[in-house]
Amino acid sequence: MTEMLEAFRLVAAPDVLIAIMASAVYGLVVGSLPGLSATMATALLVPVTFYLSPIAAVATIITASAMAIFSGDIPGALMRIPGTPASAAYTDESYAMTRKGQAELALGAGLWFSAIGGIVGTLSLVLMAPLLAEMALSFSTFEYFWLAFLGLMCATLVARSSPIKAIASMLLGLLFACVGMENPGGVPRFTFGIADLLGGIEVIPALVGVFAVSEVMRAMTTPEPPPLPRRRFGSILAGQWGLTKKYQWPMWRGNIIGIIIGVLPGAGADMAAWVSYAMSKRFSKEPEKFGTGHPEGLVEAGASNNASLASGWVPALLFGIPGDTITAIAIGVLYMKGLNPGPTLFTERASSMYALYIIFVLANIIMIPLGIIMIRVASLVLRAPRAAVMPVIVLLCAVGAFATGNNLFSVLLVGMFGIVGFVMERNGYPVAAMVLGIVMGTMVEQSFVTSLIKSDGDVLPFFERPVSSVLAAMAIAALLWPAGVWVARRLRPAEAAR
Amino acid sequence: MHLSDRVTGGFLVLLGVLAFWGGSRLPAVPGQDVGPAVFPMVVGAGLALCGALIAFGVGHSFEDEEVEPIEAHAGLARWLGDRRILAAFVPPALLLFYMLVSETLGFLPTAFVLVLVAALALGASLRLSVGMAVCAPPFVHLVFYKLLRVPLPAGILPAPW
Amino acid sequence: MNQFTRRGALAAGALAGIAPLARPALGQGRYPARPVQVIVPWGAGGGTDATARIVAALLEKEMGQPFNVVNRTGGSGVVGHAAIAQAAPDGYTIGMLTVEICMMHWQGLTELKRTAYTPLALMNEDPPGVQVNASSPHRDIKSLADAIKASRPGQFKASGTGQGGIWHLALAGWLGAMGLRADHVRWVPSNGAAPAMQDLAAGGLDIVTCSVPEARAIIEAGRARSLAIMAPQRNPQFASVPTLNETLGISYSTGAWRGMAGPLNMPREIAQALTAAMQKVWNSQEFKDFMNARGFGMVWGDAAGLSAHMERTDATLGAAMREAGLARG
Repeated sequence: MTEMLEAFRLVAAPDVLIAIMASAVYGLVVGSLPGLSATMATALLVPVTFYLSPIAAVATIITASAMAIFSGDIPGALMRIPGTPASAAYTDESYAMTRKGQAELALGAGLWFSAIGGIVGTLSLVLMAPLLAEMALSFSTFEYFWLAFLGLMCATLVARSSPIKAIASMLLGLLFACVGMENPGGVPRFTFGIADLLGGIEVIPALVGVFAVSEVMRAMTTPEPPPLPRRRFGSILAGQWGLTKKYQWPMWRGNIIGIIIGVLPGAGADMAAWVSYAMSKRFSKEPEKFGTGHPEGLVEAGASNNASLASGWVPALLFGIPGDTITAIAIGVLYMKGLNPGPTLFTERASSMYALYIIFVLANIIMIPLGIIMIRVASLVLRAPRAAVMPVIVLLCAVGAFATGNNLFSVLLVGMFGIVGFVMERNGYPVAAMVLGIVMGTMVEQSFVTSLIKSDGDVLPFFERPVSSVLAAMAIAALLWPAGVWVARRLRPAEAAR
Repeated sequence: MHLSDRVTGGFLVLLGVLAFWGGSRLPAVPGQDVGPAVFPMVVGAGLALCGALIAFGVGHSFEDEEVEPIEAHAGLARWLGDRRILAAFVPPALLLFYMLVSETLGFLPTAFVLVLVAALALGASLRLSVGMAVCAPPFVHLVFYKLLRVPLPAGILPAPW
Repeated sequence: MNQFTRRGALAAGALAGIAPLARPALGQGRYPARPVQVIVPWGAGGGTDATARIVAALLEKEMGQPFNVVNRTGGSGVVGHAAIAQAAPDGYTIGMLTVEICMMHWQGLTELKRTAYTPLALMNEDPPGVQVNASSPHRDIKSLADAIKASRPGQFKASGTGQGGIWHLALAGWLGAMGLRADHVRWVPSNGAAPAMQDLAAGGLDIVTCSVPEARAIIEAGRARSLAIMAPQRNPQFASVPTLNETLGISYSTGAWRGMAGPLNMPREIAQALTAAMQKVWNSQEFKDFMNARGFGMVWGDAAGLSAHMERTDATLGAAMREAGLARG
């Protein structure tokens, strides 16, 4: 108890509070710019943390990353430019809501359920960290393979399209992920002698290209849609309580899935949002509404996204294993400040640990008022004429892509992916499924090939371990499901018209 | 740019076969039975299979009825008439332009041209286009260069900050 | 508001410096007259990035101009290393080289070699360690080495980085020094040290040959043990871990190093000024505190020292890669 009081005293220090506020505003701004990731926001804070007290230093990282992940949803909903690979899962949904004039409901849902997910995720960190860490450490590459495979199967669920085309798009993404030398052989693959391709195709330029650039391309050939009814941008939080009550079960499912996936290093927030969105559609009573501006999927995926962000700290704090690039940076800062990750952090430095928990909760609470202000400012974009907004989006795509690695080649990639996305959408191939393939590609291949190397080419171990056999059964069921539906439809043609 | 399923499916078959072939030609890794060739070959085979299914119309019943987009009547699309689909390639062309000239010309002039052309192509009035092209780049530069420390090139017209 | 006031200070510095960007630097009086760009060939958040950022922050204090860290990623380090080599040699673009510069050209990834740079200073080197699972029957390196010698080829599985990465070469070199073939222990490529350590703890691997700082948290959590390091002497941060030499009598050592360099043909006085400033940085308490906190090995070398160090690693790694069949051409 004294440790808890000590923790409150640590957090209440003026420098910590100022650091939280400043990094919150900073994270919100950076996250809302297309092409700039939460990782970049955190990395830029590292030199600043040299000059801060340990708790203040970690507070800036926690706050800025949580804010940046949320505000990545804003350009996605308003302009169809997902800020992070995670928000790509539900960008089309929230953009469809904006087109229906429900921008405030879509963004409010993102904000409200992000905050809830973040707080529930923190509670899991407080109550079950050792248990969750044990689970993370029991996952070998065999389990990762099936997990990644399940993630890929979400492709058929997230799209309103033919499952065959969704799988084809996903495979196309996997093929893009083959480019480069970050493969098990360490040899250049499909690089065509271009040095810039050695490092592979990064997700952010692909994401910005297939969503944002292809959207501008579409705008070039279609007339400006009728302006949204000129009414006041409604209250952002109104209606969220209704959604919370109506979709309570999906919300909890999202939180739990987010916590479980988030705790697995390397899977992280990206995959959590996809899996949760797909689950939401699969188990929804009204799956036909998904993709047309239906908040149910946003509730589940938004909660899952931020829950995974918090639980991703478990392996980082207990074993120094980064779950993603953000926690990798955080681990560096923890070492630098003498808060060495490990079980002793929880016993000997308990007050510091409690202080971190309090900061997590605090960050998710102040996210709500600050997020509302941010949404209000950003939604001014909806008032501007299309011919004024779209050119700036092209410019932001160029600069954002350049900023990912300060490499002009990324700008070219963005343009190429714009064309790919445009052609795909015109022909009924879901681009989100391709992005999923690019995001998951390395993990699928890495876990598949290293598992084969470890088993000396034998496939039996893929099914032998208890957890992997369960995951394998789920994956195979997910694979056979669309085929089963198709056969069922053929047998009963009367039901073909939904 | 609407192509029949036969065309896109056929393209995927071709791409899948190329990926399979390209993968199979990758060098084996010494001391490793499973190397970098396996994954592209699996993906390539899958892609070819999906392409064939799509070309034969399997799964078509799941798709929403294709709504032919209404054609644009403003800006470049109007001027191009029947070839208005070419207008769609303005944004990628502008990105290519940015990549080629921003180092020498500098960020501000390149961004000026980029925004101006894009706005005009979208059918904005000359006043709005020039206004946007003058105002937006310095603001973007300020945020990215100062706040995020992205080294945007100065070129012939360095920013005053 | 700590970071914003700091940004303000940087902004003021940058303001004074941007205008003369196009003019040549020579004949402008004291160096540096404007901000210096520090190129890092690796992504934000890694150990190289963190090291470069602290060096840059301290150089800024030392030399009175902003040193801006720029991550030029892509091409597994090729792109960033090339950017350093191709920059104007006016002292306003320098960068952090990593051990990969002595490896990439052997793999045929690039023509770029250590000779394309003006070496400035060697800042750090981390030797590889030999880590096993905490429940492994091998309590010391001798027992492990004997077990490896007695095993059939490919029976032991090791990891730590990708195929042909520095920790893979460390293993290959160690096996070679014991008179075994480079692939006697099978290499399982991984996406870096952290996933490999996790797999070691999950029981999927026998050995991980990453550096001890990278393995540290798992070791401290009681899930793994470090049996030895491949270095000439022990690391004071991990004094209980012996060297290969004192246990097996094998004087094999290697390591992942980081050094500062500029493009070839930098003006001599500028290079000397930078080396002098870097020496002060290396000796500063802040740098020591940072490196010790992260557990990074502190190794100093001036311009000649870095040059010699690069030449040595280039030769030994080239030999190790040929041995392991990883070199091309």
